Amino acid sequence: MLMCRDLADIASDYIDGELTSRQNLSVKMHLMMCKHCRTFIGNLRASTEMMKAHSSGRPNEEFMRRIDERVAEALKTWEPEDGDKN
Amino acid sequence: MGTKAHPDPQGLLIDELKLGSSSAYKEAVREYSPGMLAVARFYMDHSSAEEVVQDCWVTVIDAIHKFEGRSGLKTWLHRIVANRCKNKLRSSNREVATDFSESLDPELADRFNATGRWDLPPKLKFHESADTLMENDALSGCLDKHLSALPETQRSALMLYEAHQHKSEDVCNILDISASNLRVLLHRARQKIFLMVETFQETGKC
Ligand SMILES: [Zn+2]
Repeated sequence: MLMCRDLADIASDYIDGELTSRQNLSVKMHLMMCKHCRTFIGNLRASTEMMKAHSSGRPNEEFMRRIDERVAEALKTWEPEDGDKN
Repeated sequence: MGTKAHPDPQGLLIDELKLGSSSAYKEAVREYSPGMLAVARFYMDHSSAEEVVQDCWVTVIDAIHKFEGRSGLKTWLHRIVANRCKNKLRSSNREVATDFSESLDPELADRFNATGRWDLPPKLKFHESADTLMENDALSGCLDKHLSALPETQRSALMLYEAHQHKSEDVCNILDISASNLRVLLHRARQKIFLMVETFQETGKC
């Protein structure tokens, strides 16, 4: 019998579809009977989505500008592989 | 595979990088540096990590002609960062310390009784969706705070997997961890965020 604690332990694997089909089935059975775990899985999934939305694409401009400077500096003395040398 | 109907935008960018186009570099720096920083942060503190990423871009200028496109530009760049970090750690004799032993967060584990049922079940359904999050500055700020408080290893694994959408194999490769350890890192990090959002929703406090 899968207990709530066991389910919480493998909840991320369930969300990401990383469980074996037997494990997956026992999670589904448990979720049908257990309201608390349904809420937990829903909230853990929502947390994952929030994280994704929050952390994608918010670059620090100051950091980017420092890289641009380093790159520009390095490109000045750079020669393409087959380029003409003078 | 047949002939390509559309030009591949990443292929175009790579061609321009190989030609040393500074505008292509600017574009690539913006696109890929956040992910590269996430990789470096797995290994070291923030300012050293930023330094490594800067150094790596200079390396890229000389190495890009060797890039054959088998792994995708993002994965290639992330490997360069990981290798540089590992070399740096090797030379300073530092090790990345990580605890992979427990997959359940201790605070969450305390909420079950001896028979394994919920003692303190989750009370509410989260009403914030990922879309409305961006409009809630307080929650967004709280998330920032808690993400920066995560152990480096958890945060990097989380960033690479969720935000930069690497496949598990790539994350394991780049961070030099096993697949099961990655699962633990991801799960631990998500539980932390879950606990944070729950507290925020119940108390309005971060
Ligand atoms: Zn349950």
